[in-house]
Amino acid sequence: MNAPVRFQSLTVSGLEIRAGNTTIVRDVAFTLSHGRPVTLLGASGSGKSLVAHAIMGSLPSGLSARGIVKLDDDDLLAGSPTQTRARWGRTIAILPQEPWLALDPTMRIEGQVGEIHRYLHGLGPAEAGKSMRDDLAEVGLGDRTKAYPHELSGGMCQRVAIAATHAAGASLLIADEPTKGLDAALRDGVVDRLREEVDQGRLLLTITHDIEVAAALGGMIGVMLDGSLVEFGPADEVLDNPQHEYARALIAANPTRWPALALPTAGEPIVSATGLSKRFGERVLFDGFDIAVRRGEIVAIVGPSGCGKTTIGNILLGLVRPDSGEVQRSPGIAATRFQKLYQDPPAAFAPHQTLRQSFGDLLRLHCLAWAQAEASMRRFGLGQELLDRRPGEVSGGELQRFAILRALLLDPVFLFADEATSRLDPVTQKEVFAILIEAVRERGLGLLMVTHEAALAEKIASRILKLPA
Amino acid sequence: MSIADATLIPTTKRAWLTPARTTGLVLLGLLALFALLGPLLVSVDPTEQDFAASLASPGSDYWLGADHYGRSMLARLSHGARLSFGMALLTVATAAVPGILLGLLSAWRGGWLERLLELVSTVLLALPGLLLVLILLAFAPGTFGPLYLGLALTLWIEFYRVTRVTAAGVLKQTHVEAARLLGFGTGYILRSLVLPEIRPILITLAAFAMSTAIIAISTLSAISVGLRPPTPELGAMIVELLPYYAEAPLHVLMPGILIFLLVLGLQLATRSDLG
Repeated sequence: MNAPVRFQSLTVSGLEIRAGNTTIVRDVAFTLSHGRPVTLLGASGSGKSLVAHAIMGSLPSGLSARGIVKLDDDDLLAGSPTQTRARWGRTIAILPQEPWLALDPTMRIEGQVGEIHRYLHGLGPAEAGKSMRDDLAEVGLGDRTKAYPHELSGGMCQRVAIAATHAAGASLLIADEPTKGLDAALRDGVVDRLREEVDQGRLLLTITHDIEVAAALGGMIGVMLDGSLVEFGPADEVLDNPQHEYARALIAANPTRWPALALPTAGEPIVSATGLSKRFGERVLFDGFDIAVRRGEIVAIVGPSGCGKTTIGNILLGLVRPDSGEVQRSPGIAATRFQKLYQDPPAAFAPHQTLRQSFGDLLRLHCLAWAQAEASMRRFGLGQELLDRRPGEVSGGELQRFAILRALLLDPVFLFADEATSRLDPVTQKEVFAILIEAVRERGLGLLMVTHEAALAEKIASRILKLPA
Repeated sequence: MSIADATLIPTTKRAWLTPARTTGLVLLGLLALFALLGPLLVSVDPTEQDFAASLASPGSDYWLGADHYGRSMLARLSHGARLSFGMALLTVATAAVPGILLGLLSAWRGGWLERLLELVSTVLLALPGLLLVLILLAFAPGTFGPLYLGLALTLWIEFYRVTRVTAAGVLKQTHVEAARLLGFGTGYILRSLVLPEIRPILITLAAFAMSTAIIAISTLSAISVGLRPPTPELGAMIVELLPYYAEAPLHVLMPGILIFLLVLGLQLATRSDLG
């Protein structure tokens, strides 16, 4: 059923990626073989995705790769663009980030997997249908072949993507942040699936910032920092006894290892809601839900994806109207002192404005001085040169710090952090929370956080509200 | 596919002035000079007849020759260019300003206002544009007013529709919600967040509308329902000269070439980067 696996190993040595005259990734070397997957850990901006794209041969224009990347004896960097393209899907397949965006929304999944057998392998309709059903049954979706991607969960979409790579018969799988945006249960499902791929003899390279994923996959772990591979070794060695300073910081930044937080007693309530209910179509998200956030406390809402966590925060901010129930804000506080942090930092900034423009407009609107923003930037470790970039040209971690800075400039009393660190690497996540906790402590900010990471909520929240699925 | 390491890729400033844009702008500049300065420099009256010079070839007396009545082609072409281009510009401005404003309003407010505007634009869209112009022209044939009004009435719908759809898309984005929470008002959001994002598509649309207007004005004059001779209008000139095609083919082509160059200049100057 599965195409025979033809390749034994992937060797990368002395890999260097240059943009014009600047080297942005240097001296990356590792070997990947049967049963020994490689996982690259690192912050966004560390160059780990570029390594994956260099192997794939899909670097953005303007970037060039040098060094040795060999799949058995094939030199992947040497081939012409046509040869490189011929390998895509057939030999090397990439599992996309957020697969629900990579699948065709207008096509049933049976078609998306079946067309590979039909047109790539040239099978007849009946045979292609049979192979397609086998592929989907193998990833546990045998009964959902008629579904469209929007009818499936994120984890299921990821499994459809895996079935598609099966169908193509690729022997090297590159999983680029395969668990991004998935909650813990779905994440474990995807990791199990990837483990099975390794057991079946596929070569697997995973790019992630999630240490749990790296630990569960085993094999070899590499840690990247500023374009270099600073640590590489067997998974348990790297995780238990990291050598490099950054690797130690990265592993210590896993929320399960954070020290417990002690906050002073909370003050008066800032915003409270009683008897909230909300439904989307037939589905009741919650009914008769009560919540209150007081000054100087951190309240966490946890629950599986799609259970209405974000909706509660949006109702408190007045962005969504509840079907029934009431929201009370403590009187006499300006509306702009209720702020929100978004899951996807680039989405929270106007894409065409440089940060200097958007901050300039904000400061002018509220009659604040640049000096104040600059002082906070220094405190948050943000360089002045970043101001002249657009949101798409700044890393997620830096942008999220800008978003916090922007909110704190307005001296908020209530901040709703909607999965604010789920797309950040552990070190950045820890830094971001350090800033937030400081604001809670010093300014008496009431922080409402929504997260699917139970460990994170347990470490820092004063109170945890659980929403059922 | 998105690249997570966005910060590592150096920011490249895309040159705004691509070769295509430069060509287009130079072409438009030359045509503008011809239309604006031509009538001033060529002191000949475009309606002055000289039967001795009927269908004269380009030469020393008449630089671009003369038509069948012996009128200077150079004078007629430059007056025609001024008239056609000026009218097209006015028509597009009249269509674009209310179209964009109503589109923004409808995207922002939604509700009954949006439904009403949708109804009006659908009804107007159902009428063929040419028919609308012809109906209006029936009131005052051969004058500029109804021609201009009729064209603007058909052209504003495109601006309205495109603005409404694209602006509604931008308004749904997270950064607009963030801006509202930060205390920015409607004016700022529409002006600084929505307009810059939809500007490229509106500029392209304006170039197309301009071409449509020029061709429509010329076509209507060519079928004798637009401006009437002896007004030097490019479309009317083609029709007037057509019977003499065998003797003076170049004369017939000249007004056509002028229209072609203008439309080409507009399309080149507003070409998107991706093209």
